[in-house]
This record gives sequence, C-alpha cells and structure tokens, in this order.
Amino acid sequence: MLSTQPSSRDVVHDLATSVAHAVDLVKTYGEGNAEVRALNGVTIAFERERFVAVMGPSGSGKSTLMHCMAGLDVPTSGHTYIGDLEIGEMDDTHLTQLRRDRIGFIFQSFNLIPTLTARENIELPVTLAGGKVDAEWLEFLAAQLSITDRLGHHPAEMSGGQQQRTACARALIRRPELIFADEPTGNLDSNSSTEMLNFLRRSVDEFHQSIVMVTHDVRAAAHADRVVFLADGELVGEILAPTVDDVLEQMKQLGH
Amino acid sequence: MWRVTLRGMLAHKLRLALTGLAIVLGVTFVSGTLVLTDTLHSTFSTLFSNVYRNVDLEVRGAAAFSNQTGALAVREPFAQSLLATVREVPGVALAGGSVSGYAQYVDKQGHAISTGGAPTIGTTYPASQRLSWFHLVAGTAPRTATQVVMDQGTAQKFGFHVGSRVTILLPGAPRNFTISGIVKFGTANNLAGATIAAFSLPTAQSLFDKVGRLDTIDVLVARGSSLSSVERAIATELPKGVEVVTGQTVADENTSLMNQILGFLSTALLVFAFIALFVGAFTIFNTFSIIVSQRTRELALLRIVGASRRQVFAMVQLEAFLMGLVASLLGLGLGVLTAMGLSALLRAFGISLPPGSLVFSARTVVVSLLVGVGVTMISAVSPARHAVRIAPVRALASYSSAPATSRRRRVIVGAALGVGGLAVLVGGLARGTIALVGVGAVAIFVGVAMLAPFIARPMASVLGRPLAATLGASGVLGRENSMRSPRRTAQTASALMIGLALVAAFTVFGASISRSATGSIKDAIAADYVITGSVTGSPISGISNAAPGVISHIPGVDTVTRVDSGVFEFGHSVFNLAAIPRDSLSRTVTLRMQSGDAGSALGAGEVLISSTTATSKNLSVGDTMRVRFATTGWTSVRVGGVFKPNAILGSYVVSERFFAQHYAPGAQPVAILLRSTTGPTAAETSAITAALRPFANLKVQTRSQFIATQQAQVNQILGLVYALLGLAIIIALIGIVNTLLLSVFERTREIGLLRAVGMRRRQVRTMIRSEALILAVFGGVIGVILGTGLGVALSVSLSQQGITDVVVPYSNLVLFVVVAALLGLAASSWPARRAARLNVLDAIAVE
Repeated sequence: MLSTQPSSRDVVHDLATSVAHAVDLVKTYGEGNAEVRALNGVTIAFERERFVAVMGPSGSGKSTLMHCMAGLDVPTSGHTYIGDLEIGEMDDTHLTQLRRDRIGFIFQSFNLIPTLTARENIELPVTLAGGKVDAEWLEFLAAQLSITDRLGHHPAEMSGGQQQRTACARALIRRPELIFADEPTGNLDSNSSTEMLNFLRRSVDEFHQSIVMVTHDVRAAAHADRVVFLADGELVGEILAPTVDDVLEQMKQLGH
Repeated sequence: MWRVTLRGMLAHKLRLALTGLAIVLGVTFVSGTLVLTDTLHSTFSTLFSNVYRNVDLEVRGAAAFSNQTGALAVREPFAQSLLATVREVPGVALAGGSVSGYAQYVDKQGHAISTGGAPTIGTTYPASQRLSWFHLVAGTAPRTATQVVMDQGTAQKFGFHVGSRVTILLPGAPRNFTISGIVKFGTANNLAGATIAAFSLPTAQSLFDKVGRLDTIDVLVARGSSLSSVERAIATELPKGVEVVTGQTVADENTSLMNQILGFLSTALLVFAFIALFVGAFTIFNTFSIIVSQRTRELALLRIVGASRRQVFAMVQLEAFLMGLVASLLGLGLGVLTAMGLSALLRAFGISLPPGSLVFSARTVVVSLLVGVGVTMISAVSPARHAVRIAPVRALASYSSAPATSRRRRVIVGAALGVGGLAVLVGGLARGTIALVGVGAVAIFVGVAMLAPFIARPMASVLGRPLAATLGASGVLGRENSMRSPRRTAQTASALMIGLALVAAFTVFGASISRSATGSIKDAIAADYVITGSVTGSPISGISNAAPGVISHIPGVDTVTRVDSGVFEFGHSVFNLAAIPRDSLSRTVTLRMQSGDAGSALGAGEVLISSTTATSKNLSVGDTMRVRFATTGWTSVRVGGVFKPNAILGSYVVSERFFAQHYAPGAQPVAILLRSTTGPTAAETSAITAALRPFANLKVQTRSQFIATQQAQVNQILGLVYALLGLAIIIALIGIVNTLLLSVFERTREIGLLRAVGMRRRQVRTMIRSEALILAVFGGVIGVILGTGLGVALSVSLSQQGITDVVVPYSNLVLFVVVAALLGLAASSWPARRAARLNVLDAIAVE
C-alpha cells in the first residue's frame, strides 16, 4: 500500500479540503559539518475531520514536522498553512492568536499548570483569550472523559490518565479547527491509552474534530484514519484505514 | 491571568516572603524617615509659633552681613534707650527689652548639664506676663541679681526646686543663683531639648556683657490698632541697623531653619534607605530570574495554550506588583513603629516632644508605596522580558537546552555603564555634585554586576579549589555547582558586592579623614594641653573667658593661648576667622608657612590665609581684602602670609589685637592651648584640672589625648555609617539565603540522586555551604576591590577640602572579606539543612 510523494496536483486538490498543509518544508539544525536535516522537503496535507497519525523512528523528523506546522518552530524553508493562512509570515502576536483560537495541543507530559484545578486548566485557553466559558460544553466534555468528579482537584491529586484527559478537554474547549497531539499516550498505561485513543476517535467521528497525532505507538496509530510515515526527514509512505499489522509491517520496512 | 499569578504566589509563600523582606526593610527605612522628620517638623513649627504667640512685633538688629537672613543671621545689639522710644509710639501697648547669651547649668554633682546638641540658653525674663512665652508653673519671676528661672525639663531631670541653689556657667566666671521660679513652654517641659536660664534684664545685661544694650524689644500692639500701621510707625523711629518684624516672621524664620536641619537629616537617612533598596533590587531581580527559569515549562505551556507575550509579561509584573504592594504596606507599618521608637529615643535623650503627635502624612504613604512597588516592578522587568522570550516549544520535554543569551550585548552594555558611570562619578566629585556621584556609583555597580558573570566562572574555580582539595566530593561538587551557572553566581554575589563595596569605600574614606585630621592636628599644635568646652571648635564652645586667667597662675604653665573665633564678610559670603596671640606662634600653635612671615604679619595687623583659600580665592601675599565686621563695618586688610592647611585654625588667622579691635568684648574662646615648662606630667594635669573645676564643662586633654578624641569622633561617625549600611548587608544575605533555597529546590532530583548513590546528609550540607562560601567570597572580593577604588577616588577628589593622606587599611579590608565569608556560611545554614533533610525517594520521584 506504499504510495509515492504526492504530486503538486494532489496538493492543489487537497488545499480545498485540508485543515493544514505544508509545502517543501525544510528544517536544518546546526551549521557546516554539524548540520542536521530534520526535515528534507516535506509536502503534506491533513484533511478536515480526519484523524491522522504521523509515525517514524526516533530522529525521523516527526516531532519537528508537527512543531513547524503548529507554528511552534520556524522552518528553514518552505511554507506551512493552517486552513488557507500561511503561518510562516506571522509575527508572534498572530501566532499566539492562531494557537489560542484555532489549534489545540495535547502533549506526552507536563500538560497542566500545577497550581490550577482541573476545571481552571480546561478553561485556561478561554480565559486567556478573554472569552466566556461554554459551561455546557465543558460539563459534557468532562462527562465524556470521566473527570466530572475531578474538576475541583489539582493535577498533583490526579492520576496520569486523568491528567491527560483533562489536557484533552482543554484542547477541545474552544472547538479548534485542528488538534495536535504529541505522543499523547506515551506516559500512560494500556487501559488509559485505550480510553484516550477511543475518545480522540470519537471526537473526530462525533464532534467533527481534526486531529494530527505524532506517535511511535503502533496501537495508537491503528486508531487513525490515515498514517503517514517519516524517515530521515522525508515522507516515505502512508496507509489509509490502518490496522496494527499494516503499521507494524510498514515500520519494519523502515529499517527496524 | 490573575488566577495563575495568585495561585503561583500562594504556592511559593516562603520564597515571596524572603524576597519581599528586602523591600519591607527598605520601605521601613523610607517611611520611618518621613514620619520622623514630619513629626519633628510639626513639633518645631508648633513650638515656635507658641513661643512667639504673645509677641506682635519684634525690634532687633538688622542682619549684619549681606546675603544673610533669618534665624542664622548675625545681629548686633542696639542701645537700650530705643526701648523708651518704642514705648512712645502710638498703638504700642507694651514693650519689653531682652538680651540673651550662653548660660549652662551645673548639676548637684558638679557636672555641666549638656543637651546633646541643643542650645543652652540664657535669656531675659519678660517684664510683663502678657509678653511672656514662659508659663510660670512655680515660684516667681527673677528680681535680684542672684535669682534665676529654670525650665521644668531641667528641674525635673536634675531635682531642682524653687529655692534651690544652682551654679551656672557663663561667658565670664561661673556664678551661683537661687531658683526663683520654674517655667514650661505651653505644654512642653523644655524647648526642643534646650535648657533655659532666665534672668532679670539688668542681670542678663551684665552677665552677657550687654550693659545699656538690648538684643530685642518685644512689642504688644494695643487692641484696636492695626499691626502693620504700628509696625510702620515703629520702623520710622528706628536708627540704621535696627529693624522691626512681626512675631510671626520670627517664628517662621526659626521654623525654616529647623526645616533646613531636618532636611539634611532626612536626606542623609534617605540616602541609606536608597542604598538598602538598591541592594534589595538586586535580590528581587535575582529571585525573579530564578523563578522565571524554573517556571520555563509552565510559562511555555501557557504560551502554547494561547497566552500572548503581553500576558506573560503582565503576569510576571503582576506578581512583582503584588509582592511590592504587600511588602510596602508592611514596611509602612514597621516604619511608623520605627519612628515611634525613635521619638521615644529622643525623649529619653531629654528632648521633650508633645506626646501622641506622630505625623503620618498622605505623602509618606504615597512615597513609600511608590518606592516599594516601583523598585520591585522595575527589578522584575528584565526577568519578565526573559519570560516573554521563552519559546512555546520549551514546554515540550524534548526541548531542554537553554536558549543562548547574547553575551556580546551584555559585555557592551555592562562596559558602557561601568565606564560611563565612572565618568559621571569623577565629574560629580570634581564639581562637588553629590547626586552625580550617586548616579555614577549606581551605574558602576550595575555595569560591574553585568560583567561579573564573565569572571564568575574562573573566580569560582579558583576560590573553590581549596574547598575541593580539603572537603572531598562535597567540596568538588560545591565548586562545580557555583561554576555551573556563572550568571546566577554573579547575580547573587552582586548584592553582597554592593554592600561590601560601600563599606569598603567608607572605610578607606574614613581612614583617610581620620589620618588627615590627626596628621594635621599633630602638625597644627605644639601645645602640651588642649582645653575644650562643651562643643569642640564651635563659637558656642562654652569656654568661660575667665578660664585662661585662672590657669596662667599654675606653676609650670609657660604659655596660655586663647584661640578666639569670629565671623566676617568677604566677597558676599560669611567666613570664620581664628585669632591667636602673636607670641603663641611655635610655642602652642604651629603654622607651616608657604609664603610670608607669620610673626611679622600678625604683628602688623595683617591676615594669614591657608593655601587652599589662597588658591580658591586667588589671593597671595601683598593682596588687600575688603572685609566687613558686624561691629566695625567695612575695612581693608592686607594678606600677610599663606600657611599650609591647619586643622585647628581653619582658613583665616589674625592676631589677638586685631580681634579685640573688630569684635565686641566678652567673647568666649573656642579653645585654650597650654605649653608647660616640663611637658605634661600627672601632677601638672591634676593641678590644671583642679584649677578648672569650677568651669564644669571644660575638658583638659594632653595633646595625644586630644588627637585620640578627634580620631574617636571620626570613628563614631564611621560606626554610624556602618550601622546604616548594615541593613544593606542584611538584605544581601537574605538574597543569598533565597538563591540557595531556590537552587536546592531546583536540584531536588540531583540531590536525591546523590543521596541515593551514597552521599551522607553531612556531605550534602557541606556541599551547599561550599557554594555559599564561594558566593560570599566572590562578592566580598569584588566588592572590596571596587569599594577601595571608590574610596580612594572620593578621598583624592577631596584633597582640597583637607584630606591630605589617602589611607587604604588593608587589614580591615581583608577582615571584611572574612566577615562576608562567615556571613555567607551563616546564610547557608538553613538551605543546607533543607537540602540534607530531603527524602531520597521523594526527591527522585519529583518530575
């Protein structure tokens, strides 16, 4: 099921429907002999209302790709877009607005402000933007994520899974166009992982969210609609509607 | 925003309390000073308006010199016949004449009653109770030549009553009086600490050498007459050199003089408050820098979920604002308590203040809050900007490397500040502008603090070597830790550096003053004995003019020199001159001449001037000076010689005969110098002391004792300065405690790991102490070097003002570094114990 690099025609087609895309993305670190090419001309589009997993071995550039596309890091060359907005040209103020209004984030660890309660953490993107919290939506998310009785607690009083679900609720509170999840199950036991992935799946299917997830967990990737593979900073393949076995097979081919 | 800040602050109360303490102390100093000076100001203005409440108009000598006005002006007495003239003026209901002068009580044990700086006033008891500023509480007015009225303050403190006998020291010989009455001043027992002896007019006139003359005439205007028309009517009757003013004017003049003195006091205290706050600013800056770096991930996370740069900046500033506000309010409260304590202290010194009248003005609140909050917020600006620059990606574990900081900009800005500061400082010293000196010093300190990180690493390495060699693993780790973050090491040490730099600067300066003073006294005096009065060197020395005559009869006393002092006008300014008998030259007084011959010049009625005066006034031997004396008016005098700076005689010296020609008789000498045939012996000393016993306020000292006393006076002032700077040192130490606590917290995992692999608690403590030691010695060494430089610069620049020797007291300076090291060790004891107490498992488990 291996496909080649998408043609420019495909990208133009994707533009109409994609929630985010990148064209010829290059990112290098260091200079001269010490230069490392983390991304070497990646062109990719992420579809709306789809759950996309980005996989690859360590150092393949998958985290760098996400950071560049989320506007957290600046590419050396190439263009990145959220919707039809090119983020390479944005100053910090606009990037901040973009993150606040249109993107949600979930990380592997250290997701929550330790001094705020779970509810306050979830509300944070709204209060930072000076908006009004949609209480109904918050209660609904909390119920779906089974953290309703934890809302008044501080992160230190919650389990890792509860903390991660709180972060998940925070990512969704503003109903962003796109959620970036960076190894969201990396620190979780298998039960919590499954719960988490199921919820991400549901938010795409039922709440029409778009999610891009970076992971090296094969089982996690199998929850996605599409898995793209990176190696040495280049896009090396993708699988649609993956199963665990498909993904394992692909990873083996990538030199494991 | 508020919530994140507030929660963060509540989670770190200890850290905030320690940092805030620096501001609390500084603001306490500021508000205490303001409350105290406001209170004193209000006390004095009330006092003076009460004193002059019953006086509508006052006739007095006009200011004798140009450019002199108000309470400090020199005024000559006028003929008593003017009193009858004034009484004749229509609209004058009452008029009473008065003279005043020096009168100091002697207590029952035979000691002079001193006031700690306030005047000992002898005056005239008013002729009519209606003109009186005294409130007679017992007895009667003085009627005979042996009666006196005493103030209640002195009476109570020294157990005098109506009918008691009391000895009073006077310009002439001391005399005995009977107390006829006791007075208060409104509700106060004494007049701002002064003692009062009131005599009948004829008695006062004879005691103060003013027979047939008056200093003032107090006038009460008849009911129905207008004050200003009576004032004008009196003015037309007055001869030249006599003026009439309202009582209110006199009260205002006295109040404004008091305000001037209080202004000096509050400026001096506020300078130290400023120093404390400046050192505090470094502590705050450092703490916030550490807080920001420790919260890097948290701040980055906030940025990721949508906090703008402005919001992050505002968050750090809000924290600073709240901390500054709380600390300033606390400081304000403590300042009021301090002022109350100081008022109580004044009362203990015998200065009676009306009770319960602490003045707490709105200005005190505003200034204290502005200063406290302002300093905190400004100190937090740079850390806040640092926080703003944190990239959102730093929230992700994969990005843990610290961002590169601009070393070059730091070097350039630091060097520019240092060099610019030095230029401003030197300029300020050259022009004598204290504000410029302050600005320059601040710039130098900030510049050095900015450059300090670059030498922190090598210095910590060198300073830590002996520790590493002697303390084993703990010493090695301690050294490594202080080298690890040179910037933090330097920032923490900076506060201590400033404190020690100031201490060192004052030490060098003080030692130079002390040496110069004693050196020049040695060069100035050939006498075996020096006799001084209540206040050394002051025109109101209180030395009886009868004293020289008493001593000259003592066998073995060879030469008795009375040194007189007087004021004169020259070039629109008023100066002091000293007068000595011509034959004392080289017997008791040494004048090292630069040009001219002292003996012949004094004999010819010429003036001798010091070489510094010759330079600044552009005068040389043979020039003529146009000068004015209060009694005799304008005259010309020839410069007969130029002498090298002389600590005893000042800038202008004339002969005894010249002095007698131009000044009123009955002047009190400022010092008496003795030369004996044998040199000082115990027998002679006791003979002189015995002869002077009736003059209870006189102090007999041998030449070496006198020099030691002068040195002690310099040291006393230096001690006071040290005490005031001590506050800055304390604040710097709080900074060290704070930094070490924060760094222990930051390295919880690391310390846990060390413990897990077998480091004992004692070794952990030793490690933290080594770090503190390196920090303190680093700050101490740089501070002392910097301070020595500043002190030398200050001393050299004042060489014209009489600092002839620049002394660097090396042993003291080394001692300061040692003390700094010990203080650093003391400051580390709490953080060290905290680190040693860390539970190994918990420490490793912390994320």
